[in-house]
Amino acid sequence: MQSEPVDVRRQNLKPARSPGKKRGRERWISSFEARMMLPALVILAVISILPLLYILWMSLNNVTLLGGAGITSRWLGLGNWARMFSDSNVWSGWLVMAIYFVATVGLEMILGIAIALLVHEVVWGRNLALSIILIPMFVAPVIVGLLGRFLVNPTYGLYSWVLRETGIFTGNILGGKVSAFVAVVLMDVWEWTPLIALITLAGLVSIQPQVIEAARVDGASYPQRLWHIILPSISGIIIVALLIRSMDALRYFSIIWQATDGGPANATKIIPMRLYEVAFRFLHLGYAAAIGLVMLAVSILVANLFTRILRERGLAG
Amino acid sequence: MKKNTGSKIILYILLLVVLLWTIVPIGWMLLSSFKSTTDVLSTTPLVVFKPTLANYSSLFFGGNNLLSYMRSSVLAAGISTIIATTLGCFAGYGLARSNFRGKRHLAFWIISTRMAPIAAVILPFFIGFTFLHLINTIWALIIAYLSFNLPFAIWIMNAFFADLPPGIEEAARVDGATRFQTFWRIALPLTAPGIVTTAILCLVFAWNDYAFAVTFTGPGSQTLPVAASQLITQTGVNWGQLTAIGTVVALPMVVVGLAVRRYLVRGLTLGAVTGE
Repeated sequence: MQSEPVDVRRQNLKPARSPGKKRGRERWISSFEARMMLPALVILAVISILPLLYILWMSLNNVTLLGGAGITSRWLGLGNWARMFSDSNVWSGWLVMAIYFVATVGLEMILGIAIALLVHEVVWGRNLALSIILIPMFVAPVIVGLLGRFLVNPTYGLYSWVLRETGIFTGNILGGKVSAFVAVVLMDVWEWTPLIALITLAGLVSIQPQVIEAARVDGASYPQRLWHIILPSISGIIIVALLIRSMDALRYFSIIWQATDGGPANATKIIPMRLYEVAFRFLHLGYAAAIGLVMLAVSILVANLFTRILRERGLAG
Repeated sequence: MKKNTGSKIILYILLLVVLLWTIVPIGWMLLSSFKSTTDVLSTTPLVVFKPTLANYSSLFFGGNNLLSYMRSSVLAAGISTIIATTLGCFAGYGLARSNFRGKRHLAFWIISTRMAPIAAVILPFFIGFTFLHLINTIWALIIAYLSFNLPFAIWIMNAFFADLPPGIEEAARVDGATRFQTFWRIALPLTAPGIVTTAILCLVFAWNDYAFAVTFTGPGSQTLPVAASQLITQTGVNWGQLTAIGTVVALPMVVVGLAVRRYLVRGLTLGAVTGE
């Protein structure tokens, strides 16, 4: 493992070079670091670049499945793309996705920050409370969707019973367009608010207590301290939380899949559900590939923002 | 002083509301999994009932039992976690210690692989696996899970290795250790909590997957989340068994997840935020 080229400038320092010091690019290729990364990068290239090239090709073809393991394709050029831009189902999928995204991520940010501020003030039982609050994050989204469906079942559901007995809502929750949408939003909020709370809390813990104490001594009220000291000092971390959550919000769709399957009347059919339906129910895989590439572009955009923020915080690249 | 007590009471009331919102669904799932079929289907929710293990026993010892699903889940999630964590340690160290001009782009490529929408990734994978006759095998899932776990592990381990003070490794080098020995005997043991966190999060992501599993597997290689969704049928839903499967899927992940709570922030923000 010791065959790397000797760096002349540093020969007087016996330990070759300190880790992380600047080195030439051509040297890097054959360096220890590159050899450490090679196995992972080769596998990653095979499972990310090949599929990317393939999905690009798919989006230009009419790809369908035959019985058994056969696939047929016919060259379409930009046919799938032209079709996508005039497909009202795809547009409505993006619209539902946008509303769903704003509602879920918005609520999760507000509630997550509020919960973090709350837990930060708690002294007695704080560790136990935090552990309980984090539980939903580890529950599989499929189970969250199924459990949500159970809780709002019009006949046996605990939550529909509570809503019925208190007279707040008496109908079939997943049967109405608006109530079903609200229900799947709340399922997502239940699962992912803890993530925002956890990240925000890490930011709150890192604030120097003396700073807040000094403001308190100077007579600043809690809202004043919150607005002028606490929130500005954790704004960077809040943005990280927002971007992390945004990337995942574009990835997962299992909660809706199980809870409503996109219904009623497509009220909860976000774009990944539409894509899956086009691909595996209607078997238009090439067309689905075009939709998938647009989704991919959006997620790359968010990932780009994320790494930019990281660089500003001095954490990557 | 009085005002202080008042705000403390409000604080704990709010905390109680948050805890109830969090715990009621989970508690209800747990409770329902021990109910008999008639008790689950009661139109007024029952908190007091005669507990039974019927749901669990029919899941584990009934006709279409859960053991083969469980085996697939453990194998697919376990193997992909081991591969991702091992390669992630090597590559994460390499990334953390290298400094070349294209590093930024390399890091970005890795992270964008992790963030690719599942629904989009499914398409080329499905065709590829069909072509390679991997559909209905556990290997399709292992490869699919690597597509998000491997880049994840590289990033996190990169962050953990970047945290190590350079002095320790330099000292080892002065003592004549090779680069690899320095990595293996010094850096790796020092990042043990990071490695455990990475492995646990990889396990959680893979174990909880549904979209890949339902698309790439058939009878014999289906995982627990697929088993859960199959209880919803045209003729009705066995809610008792469903809550029991839900408990079997969720409980182990909650336990291992909370075990690394201190390092969760680091892991879940891909290294961007340092915890307590």
